[in-house]
Amino acid sequence: MGESSIVRGACDLNIKMEISSIKDAFDRVAKKQKLCSSKSQETVDQVGREIEQALAALRSPQDPSTLADQKSVLTELKLKLNAIGALQQLEGPHKELNTSLGKYQKLLEKLLNPDISKAYRNVDFDSHIINQIIASHFYHQGLYDLGDSIVNEAGEPDATALRSQFLEMHQVIEAMRTRNLQPALTWVTANREKLVQIGSNLELKIHTLQYVEVLQNGTRADALKYAKTHLAPFASLNKDDFHKLMGCLLYAGRLENSPYSELLSPFHWEITTEELARQFCSLMGQSYQNPLSVVFAAGVEGLPTLLKLANVMAAKKQEWQEMKQLPVPVELGKEFQFHSIFVCPVSRDQGSEENPPMLLPCLHVLCKQSIIKLSKNSTRTFKCPYCPAEATVAHCRQLYF
Amino acid sequence: MEMDSLPNGNNTATGTPTGATVGVNSTPTPSSNLPRLTESLKLEHQFLRVPFEHYKKTIRANHRVVEKEMSAVISGVNDAAASNFSPDDAVNHLNSLVSRLQGLKRKLEEGNRAEHLQAQKCRVRLDHLESADAENMSEWNNTRLKRILVDYMLRMSYYDTAAKLAECSNLQELVDIDVFQEAKKVIDALQNKDVAPALAWCAENKSRLKKSKSKLEFQLRLQEFIELVRAENNLRAITYAKKYLSPWGATHMKELQRVTATLAFKKDTECATYKVLFEAKQWDYLVDQFKQEFCKLYGMTLEPLLNIYLQAGLSALKTPYCYEDDCTKEDPLSQEAFRTLALPLPYSKQHHSKLVCYISKELMDTENPPQVLPNGYVYSTKALEEMAKKNDGRIICPRTGLNCSYTELVKAYIS
Repeated sequence: MGESSIVRGACDLNIKMEISSIKDAFDRVAKKQKLCSSKSQETVDQVGREIEQALAALRSPQDPSTLADQKSVLTELKLKLNAIGALQQLEGPHKELNTSLGKYQKLLEKLLNPDISKAYRNVDFDSHIINQIIASHFYHQGLYDLGDSIVNEAGEPDATALRSQFLEMHQVIEAMRTRNLQPALTWVTANREKLVQIGSNLELKIHTLQYVEVLQNGTRADALKYAKTHLAPFASLNKDDFHKLMGCLLYAGRLENSPYSELLSPFHWEITTEELARQFCSLMGQSYQNPLSVVFAAGVEGLPTLLKLANVMAAKKQEWQEMKQLPVPVELGKEFQFHSIFVCPVSRDQGSEENPPMLLPCLHVLCKQSIIKLSKNSTRTFKCPYCPAEATVAHCRQLYF
Repeated sequence: MEMDSLPNGNNTATGTPTGATVGVNSTPTPSSNLPRLTESLKLEHQFLRVPFEHYKKTIRANHRVVEKEMSAVISGVNDAAASNFSPDDAVNHLNSLVSRLQGLKRKLEEGNRAEHLQAQKCRVRLDHLESADAENMSEWNNTRLKRILVDYMLRMSYYDTAAKLAECSNLQELVDIDVFQEAKKVIDALQNKDVAPALAWCAENKSRLKKSKSKLEFQLRLQEFIELVRAENNLRAITYAKKYLSPWGATHMKELQRVTATLAFKKDTECATYKVLFEAKQWDYLVDQFKQEFCKLYGMTLEPLLNIYLQAGLSALKTPYCYEDDCTKEDPLSQEAFRTLALPLPYSKQHHSKLVCYISKELMDTENPPQVLPNGYVYSTKALEEMAKKNDGRIICPRTGLNCSYTELVKAYIS
């Protein structure tokens, strides 16, 4: 652990240092820009002053035949401006500014990845589908304005399919936030059968919340009546919970000083609200997590690896565009693990219906093909590659993850 | 890339498996998050580059103004010195130069303010990048997704939604709505079959377009020529070609010849080679071409960032299991839209087993090892323990209905 925290610190430091070096480079650019613009102002002022002076000389009371004099004033002005070299004065600092601009740009290109589209596969990525995904993304989060806005602007009227369902979900959740359980109760009652089917006791949880509210704010008789009508049906399947809730009756109105004070925690509201959202999405056939956010987060984690790979494969562009499977693993956090993937430790093949994982008598697991190979086509006993135990194919059995 | 824990084989080779050698590879420890942070911030080139290009552009434009005005004033003085002005004329002439300089001064001040604002924007971006650390990464990534959605909308010309999203999330400084205003003008005009703003844009960015060997201007000119032919204004078309198309002859002779050949046809020609040149979709093509040049000039990726991240994410998530009917709803690839997008992308690759408990959806690893029921179905220890506790030590397989005792289970060792 100690070692890894040092590595962590080093990496952390690294990126911070890189960003601060970019900042320094930018400060240099900004400084040159200021210099450049003050020089421009100065030059303009200087030229202006010279012209004003010449003007003053021309305007000063003169004897009538001063054409020659006027000429000499103008010539002198011309010579003076030549001496100032206004254009050269402008050019110098601007060149320096250009140099630091160039340096800054190079630094950005060096420290950051200047082209993250290198790993992009040039395929038809249908913008209608993406627009629909974005609209659903907004509806999912309850951002109806934004969802409607993109549906209108992109002209995707079909993308509103999920709008009303998500709207209902957010109304129920909103009501729960203000401790109004009525819409939630209506919803769980309407969906009771489906919820029971997926093994959810959400209905009990919501009644529990309501019951605790009654206990705190109503009379004991109210609470008992509520328990009889709404909690009793759950008693047989949830004995422990039911006993606890009935125990609460002894402390009606003063639950906070009882062994059950924990039931008052706002935490129960939070997790029940979350579970409601989860079940609501599940019955809609939607995921609880926002799918666009999930894919995007996986992209943020995966893209650096893919870019490295694309660099290595730069010479084989064709292959990159056509490969059916990535040649290297892209490590993602466990929140992205949705499926069991068995990889045979001997052959490195991914398990499949034809080549399923098999449990050896010694409890090690290999894929079927590896076992067949080791047993010379099932003809003899073989030693497990991971321990000294012997096995025959007949003693191995298929696993289902 | 990833640090493997000690390979299981080494340990188990000496004896039958014991608890100590239990073996699903542990998942990456949190320590891998920081190299990840570094890597993931390195993806943000465009985020810093675009406001910088804008800044640079403002600087250049201001400099050009100063240079132009200043040389005009100096040559004005030179002219005056060389000519025989009457005294009044001389005074008037110099007066006009003075007021020109005053105008320049005002422009300089304005320009300076604009430069300052752009510099500020660059700094805000740098600060935002610096503010990312392991603790606030998930919030930072939420903002990142919003920024990238705005980028997508701007590129697709959904300006209203882009502005709304930026406003309601307070992202104005972190997205490039102002830069795209410039593109909007040109695109709107092209959609109304007007090339003038596009040509003006080309002129404004002439040297940089030339450097990148862009032929956008040539394509715009070809379209104008086609429009003259469409209007059967052949003489004007020829004059136009002489003036604006011939300079491109050296580099783009083939296209030039093909387009000028339309003179021999009319807009309703059936000859396929020339028919397409009269089609309305040529204008859409010009819009695409312009968008490409515009993105290149500002150092943006040619594809929307969203598409790049989505592709990477889908490739990393895609497994054959995603396309099965019983794919969990939590997997984005259970949805038709994502499945379709992922279709042309490669499957991900795994070097090690990664097992997810069917019941709890938790990872089965050293802490929560897999256990096998007599029928070969595998679940996580935690989920099975919980079931046994509630169920008097009995286990019911949720997929087959098999009823067995917790004692009949065996632990599987998976490396």
